Amino acid sequence: MSEAAILTEGLSKSFGPQTAVSNLNLQIQPGAVYGFLGRNGAGKTTTMRMLLGLVRPTKGRMRVLGLDPWLEMELMRILQRVAFVPQRKQLYGWATPAELVRMNKAYFPRWSDEAAGGLAQRLEIPMKTAFKKLSIGNQSKVALLLALAQGAEVLILDEPTAGLDPLMVDEILRTLIEDHVSQGRTIFVSSHHLGEVEQICDWVGILEEGRLLLEARLEEVRQEYRLVIVSGENLPDAPSADVVSATTDGRFRRYVLAREADGFAAGLRSQGASILEISPIGLRELFLHLVRKEAPCTPGNAGAKAAPVSSFS
Amino acid sequence: MYAWKCWRESRARFFFLLIMFTVTALLFTLEPGLEVQNGWWHFDRSEYIHNPLPTAHVVFSMILSVLWCSGFLSAVFLGATAPGSEIEPGTIEYLWTRPRTRTSVTWTHWAVCVAEMAIVAVVPLYLAAALLGTLTRYWDFPYLFIAPWMMVIVGLPVLGLTTLMTALRRSASGGLIYTSGVVLVYAILRQIIIVPLHLNPPTLFTGPLVWLVSNNQLPYDASAFPWGSLWRAVFLAAAFPLAAEYLLKRAEV
Repeated sequence: MSEAAILTEGLSKSFGPQTAVSNLNLQIQPGAVYGFLGRNGAGKTTTMRMLLGLVRPTKGRMRVLGLDPWLEMELMRILQRVAFVPQRKQLYGWATPAELVRMNKAYFPRWSDEAAGGLAQRLEIPMKTAFKKLSIGNQSKVALLLALAQGAEVLILDEPTAGLDPLMVDEILRTLIEDHVSQGRTIFVSSHHLGEVEQICDWVGILEEGRLLLEARLEEVRQEYRLVIVSGENLPDAPSADVVSATTDGRFRRYVLAREADGFAAGLRSQGASILEISPIGLRELFLHLVRKEAPCTPGNAGAKAAPVSSFS
Repeated sequence: MYAWKCWRESRARFFFLLIMFTVTALLFTLEPGLEVQNGWWHFDRSEYIHNPLPTAHVVFSMILSVLWCSGFLSAVFLGATAPGSEIEPGTIEYLWTRPRTRTSVTWTHWAVCVAEMAIVAVVPLYLAAALLGTLTRYWDFPYLFIAPWMMVIVGLPVLGLTTLMTALRRSASGGLIYTSGVVLVYAILRQIIIVPLHLNPPTLFTGPLVWLVSNNQLPYDASAFPWGSLWRAVFLAAAFPLAAEYLLKRAEV
């Protein structure tokens, strides 16, 4: 197996008494497109900032392209090979996008003027208007252009499509797939738009209150994850290690299973429960089941430990 | 490229300061020859030709009495664009995710500011000297030629202090206000020591400038030059930006 593009081991970050990230284990292989999901304040942005040396971890270890972001010289080598689009896409208000492009290209030896020109055209960016005079959507596009034309091996994108209209979102996703995914570049993207994540990602990680609740291949979620709705008395919280989450909705109990749903249902049936439904589960439902406050994850859930990554593509 | 960004961001302040000080220096240079006749301004060169040395000396004293603070003002206004000022507006995430060390960013900004401060100090005084030389046909103004460099040297600790304050306060306005506050508190404390206690402690780092301004009688007393104050200025000029660099290297955003 090749060296992980992004690796964290027991990574934690606290701001005073508040824990932002807790014992996070990630191993993202080169070429993977990893969707990092979570509610606001779940710790996604803090994790990304730690990977880029903007925030110091309280505990744990991390590597980006095999290099340690907390060693200054190694960080410089990381930053030459990693592109970042921050959540707050704030650039110099006085500068036009054309000036920002000129300024940015001087930092990156693999910068592509051709890609920058193409993106400016496709995303309809007014290149001669001062950044502060651009709409929020256009400001986001400029930040994306600067990152995508950088020729980076790893893209770290923190809500890259926030503020963009559906047409532009589609354009960005197509660009990511055509120019980056197809070239085997690694993308680590956080987003609240689960549809976008489903469109481009092959892996998802769901974070809640700084803890990784689940890490799975998206294909696996589509093919094997099932929602089992059960009715009965004294139903167990987590009768199997395959249960990702269990929630109560009135008289019904909903289980999300990572695998072996039929066997699990048979087991419950033998205890006197009625199985009302066994159905495939989408990413959106899975996400909602995992992060709903009234439905805490059970100790047996698959996300308590990072999933094995040997099957990364 | 970061140097270009620093220049681009500070050039409006730079041109404002340069024009303001140049106009002031040239007006003071022409002042002995200006007079009002029949409600109109007229320029009479005779004073420059008949009394070249005293006129040059008066002009030099007038210029210095106003422009002595140009180094400080340039330092505060140009220094407020230091890297720490980018934290609050949020552009720091962009800056710190470029492959440039925080050390290089801090000192590149410092170098650009020093170059701008030097131009702001040198151009008005050298233009005034050139004009004065042309009018008086007397060209021996050694102190007018070293004055801008003194202004720059004593301005450097203030530039460093502003760089440090922007890193501490994480904004340009915070840096500006806190630098002004520190300078003001220092001046008040100094006055408290000087006036009621009748003590006269040596200046911390402004000695060369005080020497230059107070030496307005010929011949100049070069032996009384405050070397201690000069070395303190050099020390503080290095210490403040180093402290700012240390803070920025440890800063989380």
